[in-house]
Amino acid sequence: MAALVTPVAMSRSVERSQRPRRMRLSTQRRLTGLVLSIPALALVVAFVVIPIVQAVYYSMTQWNGVTSTWIGPSAYTQTFHNPAFWQVLTNNGLLLLAVPFALAIPLGIAVLLHERVRGWKFFRSVYFLPTAISWVVIGMVAERFFAYDGPLDKIIGSHTDFLGSSSTALLALAITFVWSMIGTNTVIFLTGLATLDTTVQEAAFVDGATAWQSFSNVTLPHLKRFVQLAFIMTVISAFSALFSLIFVMTGGGPGYSTTTMEFFVYQTGFSQSEFGTAALYGIVLFVMMAVVGIVQLKLIRSE
Amino acid sequence: MAEITFDRVTKVYPDGTSAVSELSLDIADGEFVVLVGPSGCGKTTALRMVAGLEEISRGELRIGGRVANHMLPRGRDIAMVFQNYALYPQKSVYNNMAFALKIRNVPKDEIDRRVREAARILGLTQYLERKPKALSGGQRQRVAMGRAIVREPQAFLMDEPLSNLDAKLRVDMRAEIARIQRMLGATTIYVTHDQVEAMTMGDRVAVMRGGILQQVDAPERLYEQPANLFVASFIGSPAMNLVEASLEAESGRLHCRFGDSSLAVSDICRQARPEIEAYAGRRVVVGFRSEDITDATSAPEAGADRRLKAVIEVREALGSEILAHFSLGEERAGLALAGDVIEEQDGGASSPRSRRFVARLGPRAPVREGERAELVVDTDRLHFFDPESGLALGRSRT
Repeated sequence: MAALVTPVAMSRSVERSQRPRRMRLSTQRRLTGLVLSIPALALVVAFVVIPIVQAVYYSMTQWNGVTSTWIGPSAYTQTFHNPAFWQVLTNNGLLLLAVPFALAIPLGIAVLLHERVRGWKFFRSVYFLPTAISWVVIGMVAERFFAYDGPLDKIIGSHTDFLGSSSTALLALAITFVWSMIGTNTVIFLTGLATLDTTVQEAAFVDGATAWQSFSNVTLPHLKRFVQLAFIMTVISAFSALFSLIFVMTGGGPGYSTTTMEFFVYQTGFSQSEFGTAALYGIVLFVMMAVVGIVQLKLIRSE
Repeated sequence: MAEITFDRVTKVYPDGTSAVSELSLDIADGEFVVLVGPSGCGKTTALRMVAGLEEISRGELRIGGRVANHMLPRGRDIAMVFQNYALYPQKSVYNNMAFALKIRNVPKDEIDRRVREAARILGLTQYLERKPKALSGGQRQRVAMGRAIVREPQAFLMDEPLSNLDAKLRVDMRAEIARIQRMLGATTIYVTHDQVEAMTMGDRVAVMRGGILQQVDAPERLYEQPANLFVASFIGSPAMNLVEASLEAESGRLHCRFGDSSLAVSDICRQARPEIEAYAGRRVVVGFRSEDITDATSAPEAGADRRLKAVIEVREALGSEILAHFSLGEERAGLALAGDVIEEQDGGASSPRSRRFVARLGPRAPVREGERAELVVDTDRLHFFDPESGLALGRSRT
């Protein structure tokens, strides 16, 4: 037996030493992963990283689209002394006040639809409709609705040009924004409700809960993730998707009363040809969004 | 604690499906009643009507003497343990148990006392701060029990609370629930499809089928005196052997003949069931339990009119006993086993029943698969049923 085993073992050890050294499986996998991610990485660098770096650079220049003059970080301090900039920032802040409404109203609608009230299928389509309509069309409809002696004036019996008055234009814009978010957020909450285990609600009722106690103790905690998602999407929309609405409804006016940072970037760049300053506003908008995103991520991770 | 009364309670769904028909059942204060039956028999619907989670179409439900038909769940003072436990996923074990007390504005220290006491009884003290997802199935089941216990309600409702547990845990929790129920003396309605749970836990067992109550009795009586074919076949594992036979009178004795086999009805059995005399010359369904069959070697004195010539088809040795599945020779195909009758009545809804008989023999019975064996039936303990109505004939000997 020993005479048989020894030559085999020997030949194996010879084979092993002669065989070219193979990479370990984990190394191979890591390398493959790197190679496969190169195309995506290249695209991100080309279309995201480089433009961001460029924007940071141009934000510290005076650039009319053809020639640029380096100003340096003082460009930022100059901007902070511009009252229009602060009004635009305030507008963004005020629009954020619309976010709770853009969440609470769809939540209420979703709960009612989930209860299968009479005609719920019809209403589900009705509420989702704004989502399927382009922002431009929504803006045009809203412009008519809020116009002097328009439908709203007829309803409340006044003669107000809601979009022409700096005291009401932003409110009209916010209402339109809330209305346009109802569909998306209702669908998000309906999806959340569909995943709710109804026996848990029943358990709450048997435990003695009222409808409100069941909602606040069972339904709402269950919807937490969905509310977070809707919140992020709504805030992002408020900061970066209102361009078409503003463009169609008010053009940012009267004065700067409905100009948001996003619209300000466009105005500064393409109306006033101050691309350097526009890039700076773009950076400010980016930082604002980043702060919202990071806070949100922290909140989610903290659980 | 309170008594619960179903008075001709009926549940018809909007699509016309009748889930429960004319259910009348009195559950005494402190009693443990098990509702048992196959899937779709209406047992869970009946329970949910007591909880107030299902509207009652007709009839009256009384809890503690008060009509409860239109009472909201929270007005009924009843606790329920759900099949999937239905724990509040975002709340800790402590808050799951405390929730019902908090919304009733029970003082904090009283809540704390009750929750900790329930946790102690259920062995959950070290898990109070955990969320349900961090618990095992058995622990979640205990939390669901705890949530019911702390309420000190008028009655407990349990909807198949053990069906999601593994076999061993189920046996443990079965005893645990029975112990807690006795300790608290709470009126309990327990729904299950498992007849072992039904037999071991309940003071009384209500067997349901197709929304209709078949029989309510103490477990032993249900086993010994099934009211009809369905109860006879549903209660007991292995199920009662049932076969369609002709009852023939011969020189003063009654014989039931099926295929080539014949069993003489003993005098004791005839005295206990005088109704069968009227069936002489007619067809009946005869039933005998697997434990009322022995192998002929251990009963050499038994007469030929108690013996069956069997072919052993499957032999299951369980250590303490042998389950012998047998047929009666060549004639097997010609026999209408009563399992078929029940299936016909169910419209094929119930599980297909074995076309074989089963005998529960001693651990050293000399039976081997594929071989012939002579088996002896205890003819004092035969059951008879009307083949048309399925109703039991007379009262079997207890």
